[in-house]
Amino acid sequence: MPLPDETGAAPRLPRRLLLLGLAAQAPDPLAAILAPLAAVRESRATFVEEKELPELERPLLSRGLLAWRAPDRLEKHTIEPVEERFLLEGEVLTIERRGERRQVALDAAPEIRPLVEAVRATLAGDAATLRAHHRVAASGGPARWRIELTPLSPRVRAAVQRIVLEGEGAAILLVETQGRDGRGSMRISPAR
Amino acid sequence: MRRLLPLLLALALLAAAFAGASRLVTLRGDIADFLPAPATPEAAFLLGELRSGAATTLLIAGIEGAAAEDLARVSRAMGDALAADARFTLVANGAPRLAEEEVALLMAHRYALSPAADAFTEPALRAALEGVLDGLRSSAEPLVRRFAFADPTGAFLGLLRGWADGAAVRTAHGVWMADGPRALILLQSRAAGLDTDAQGATADAVRAAFAAAAPPDGARLLLSGPGIFAAEAAATVRADVKLVSTLSFLLVGAFLFWRYRSPLMLAVVALPLAVGTLAGLIVVDAVFGHVHGAALGFGMTMLGVADDYPILLVTNRAPGESLRDAARRLWPTLRLAVAAAVAGLLPMLASGFPGLAQLGLFAATGLVGAALATRFALPALLPEGLAVRPLPERLAHALLRLPARRGLVLGALVLVAAALVATGGPRLERDLAALSPVPEPVRMLDGQLRAQVGAPDVRTVLALAAPDAEAALQAAERAVAALRAAGIAGAIDHPARWLPSAATQRARLAALPDDATLAARLAAARDGLPFRATAFDPFLREVAEARAHAPLAPADLAATPLLAARLAPLLRRDGEGWRALLLPAEAIDPAALRAAAATVPGLMVVDIKAETEALLADGIATALRWGAVGGALVLLLLGAGRGLMGGLRIAAALAGALLLTFAALAAMGERITVFHLTAALLLAGVGLDYALFMSRSGVEEGTDDAARALGSILTCMLTTLLTFGLLALCRTPVLHATGLTVCLGVASAFLLACTLAPRRDAPR
Repeated sequence: MPLPDETGAAPRLPRRLLLLGLAAQAPDPLAAILAPLAAVRESRATFVEEKELPELERPLLSRGLLAWRAPDRLEKHTIEPVEERFLLEGEVLTIERRGERRQVALDAAPEIRPLVEAVRATLAGDAATLRAHHRVAASGGPARWRIELTPLSPRVRAAVQRIVLEGEGAAILLVETQGRDGRGSMRISPAR
Repeated sequence: MRRLLPLLLALALLAAAFAGASRLVTLRGDIADFLPAPATPEAAFLLGELRSGAATTLLIAGIEGAAAEDLARVSRAMGDALAADARFTLVANGAPRLAEEEVALLMAHRYALSPAADAFTEPALRAALEGVLDGLRSSAEPLVRRFAFADPTGAFLGLLRGWADGAAVRTAHGVWMADGPRALILLQSRAAGLDTDAQGATADAVRAAFAAAAPPDGARLLLSGPGIFAAEAAATVRADVKLVSTLSFLLVGAFLFWRYRSPLMLAVVALPLAVGTLAGLIVVDAVFGHVHGAALGFGMTMLGVADDYPILLVTNRAPGESLRDAARRLWPTLRLAVAAAVAGLLPMLASGFPGLAQLGLFAATGLVGAALATRFALPALLPEGLAVRPLPERLAHALLRLPARRGLVLGALVLVAAALVATGGPRLERDLAALSPVPEPVRMLDGQLRAQVGAPDVRTVLALAAPDAEAALQAAERAVAALRAAGIAGAIDHPARWLPSAATQRARLAALPDDATLAARLAAARDGLPFRATAFDPFLREVAEARAHAPLAPADLAATPLLAARLAPLLRRDGEGWRALLLPAEAIDPAALRAAAATVPGLMVVDIKAETEALLADGIATALRWGAVGGALVLLLLGAGRGLMGGLRIAAALAGALLLTFAALAAMGERITVFHLTAALLLAGVGLDYALFMSRSGVEEGTDDAARALGSILTCMLTTLLTFGLLALCRTPVLHATGLTVCLGVASAFLLACTLAPRRDAPR
């Protein structure tokens, strides 16, 4: 089957209009933002996380290390105040805390997957996965950018309404989570 | 061809009648029908469990042959699909699966269901709040927040954890995973275990779910459970029987063709057999309202005797004699043979085993029907002129000379009998599993899956009865407390572990601190922690609400299928009342258990293995007893028909054949099962015919007659050997036992009938 020719000898009228409409839009900013991220095979960073919960009088603070290895390994190693390892590798999430080790298959946890993919798919530069779980709004350019994610699943949205990622170039600097009644923010400083 | 028309027409008519009868007759399969009526409450309980116990509805599925994460994906997909299938009451694969309303119900009743008695002191509350704070710091925070502010003491999650304790399976990738790797799914069907059709459908549903889960290449589904067993066993037996019957049909057909120089003989043999089977089916169904599958199977075996009638008729016809005259001449002998066989079968009707009674009635009716068909229908339908090929002369000579060696043979029989007695006789099979037609590999797989899924191989069951569910639950609580007090340690699964009695639930709720006290303790416990003052208001509110809830009763469990499924095997309606079961998880010294249980009135200890063995031994003993009565009846009849000496001669041939058969079986290391015994019945019937017909002619008749009698019996024996011989090669216990016994027996019966026949000169 011959493909419609974009440079356009003479496709039929409706298709031509459609193409014109697409051409009128700005180029996809998400693709431009994700391209440098996708090029990073490995990265390390420190983080400071702040959780504000309505039941608590003051926010909970924690800090630790983040490690990313393409294509799908993300480790969040909390050091203070309680050590915890949160390892996302392939389809399996492993959490180790106080000597207890729990494994969760992402397949079995549809409520968790959109949340962890928000960060991992961004690091991987994987727009398809982001869009599979979220409505994506991207702004800014490769130098300074902002991605706003709204979970597609109503069940997930009941708990987490919005995730905002901000960054510069190939680094994520801030992950903000707006929950049902609580907020979390993780500030990230790339190592070296 | 014209002359064949009546016979062929009659066969076609019979075939049509079969099609009609098979639609009218209800077939049933229930091995318990072949066990004797229970004499003790323990035996009655065991029989009930065998028939309809919860264990009979359990299915275990294993998925293997791929990487663990793929297996987990398939397991989850199957779990989701099957959980939505109304045919299953329980689907467990390790993945948490609680519906919203189930969570709501269990949350509402958490303080009545969980035993946390001292969770509401100030120090305990302080520790609980620190735990909540720690949870909020972790990445499990969303999960913690979901319950922690309403349930800081963790009563609900503790309840779920306690329930999961029973399963000793490792979890990987979110589902149960045994080594291999092999993902495991535990299923319970709504259909009873003995409903073979429904069990087949549930098994198909599991297979369909597996196929729909898009298993990766190489992934295999293993399925086990009593329902699967029944289907598997039926399939194995059917396949064996199909192969064997095809082969033996060809062999018998070829043999009869050679012997009678006509394919017609097959139709001649088929006619009385068909009449007999049809008569047996209809009479048994009319008397019992259904026909037991096993009775039909064994009964058909028994009708192997009827096979001989037409052969005896056709072969014994003297040259120039019409078939009608031959039938008239042979009728007294045939009549005596049938009467004796029926007399031997009659006691089974009174034996008290429904299965055995059916078998007896089926065989007796069938034999009479076949004999009548041989006497009256065959001569009318059959064209004259079925020539019989004479026996090879040397063989006939040798066989007809056997009576001369009578002393030697009798001596040998005595020796064999002495040897059999000296070695303690043939060993009886006491293991019910050995009777199972389920192929050995399938049983091994079942054992392996059971062990992996942590379903204990229950050896001892404690049972108690009560007028209602609440009384049964209270009795179970008291019994467990008494067992503990008597020093029985180790986990015991019991219904109140899942649903405490209403009394216990009320006591737990009454023990909750009042609102003001709890608020004060909570405020003190919160001191210095970053929680807002209102953070735990849901907790205070729900404790107050919990006090007002009526206790959860078995009737309320419709909304919580998980709990209902766990409770069902342990607590159920039993006739007018209710029955609670206590299952020790590990082997406990039976003596200690019995001693401890004796302190609890009404608590019955059932040692499954011992009781089963006792039942089985009882069954075989009863069968033997009734067999002896039948034997005495046969002797009486023979004595009346042939005089004392003639009767004794025939009885000796018969007894000798049985003796030789069981001696040979013992020498081969076979353990005697009920299948061997039923096969011995056939053998006795056949042996009777051989002896009767061999000694029919008497000295006064010519050796030609004797040679014809010999030829007819040899033909009978060979067709029987060709029919049953191949069964001995099967691995299914019932077929193997039947085939082997009949083969050994028929050969010895034939030789003994020749030997013990009246002396006469050798044929010319």
